Amino acid sequence: MAVATLPHSGAHEEVDQLYKETRDLRLQGFLLFLISDCVLFSSFIFAYFYMRNSGQGWPPPGIHRLDVAFAAVNSVILFGSGATMHYALENWKHGNFNRYAMFMIATIVLGLGFLGGQAYEYTNLIVKEHVTWAGSGIFGASFFTLTGMHGFHVSVGVIYLFILLLQSVHGVYTKEKYFGLTAGTLYWHFVDVIWVALFSIFYLV
Amino acid sequence: MNLVATEHLIAIVGGIIVAVVSAIALKNDWNATGIDNQVFKLMLGLLCLGALIAIGAGAGFLGNFGQGAA
Repeated sequence: MAVATLPHSGAHEEVDQLYKETRDLRLQGFLLFLISDCVLFSSFIFAYFYMRNSGQGWPPPGIHRLDVAFAAVNSVILFGSGATMHYALENWKHGNFNRYAMFMIATIVLGLGFLGGQAYEYTNLIVKEHVTWAGSGIFGASFFTLTGMHGFHVSVGVIYLFILLLQSVHGVYTKEKYFGLTAGTLYWHFVDVIWVALFSIFYLV
Repeated sequence: MNLVATEHLIAIVGGIIVAVVSAIALKNDWNATGIDNQVFKLMLGLLCLGALIAIGAGAGFLGNFGQGAA
């Protein structure tokens, strides 16, 4: 019986060549995904501003202002995770696996810390302030929709980073071929940058 | 030191650390080429801006710091 096999000589070179040829395409595809996600957030943010400016002051009567102090701390935690993620990739590029793993774990822990902070804030709003998604008008709807959507992205990002860490431990990536780690870093930076916008519009403006 | 003052301090100190670290990373990557590195530079710049905003919020320059949700 004839069995199709890859030629042993030059097989690695073919794989390397294929990686080089498709890396930019995959990068462009991933950037398009991030741009489409950016459009999604932008449409919700514009809708939020439209509703906010058509109402009678902000926050609406009966709802207290959000706690900026706690949100600032939570923001610093998320922004810090962006910095650790960047250094994780840099250490991978320089072949320093231990430092890469340390920064990667720090990023995951900080991401979980941010999610914990968001859960705490939600609990405070719902239990103490009685602000809910459906029962507090456009304020509750816009706040929980936008921050919830962002929180969902952070949750997905934490799972994504954990998978990337496992993959790198199992040797899926090399010093030369690490597109997955680049995509993970891009995604995490994107999540950070979206929070810069959300933090500013909900807590500061 | 009460909880709010601690939050002030963490926001300011943490914001300074993140701003400095991201600015250093941006400086180190400044001459890097390629689409991914260009995006990284943009993201690091915005990350630095975010950290500065957090410092501003922590220091009370921005937002309604201190009024809280009470």
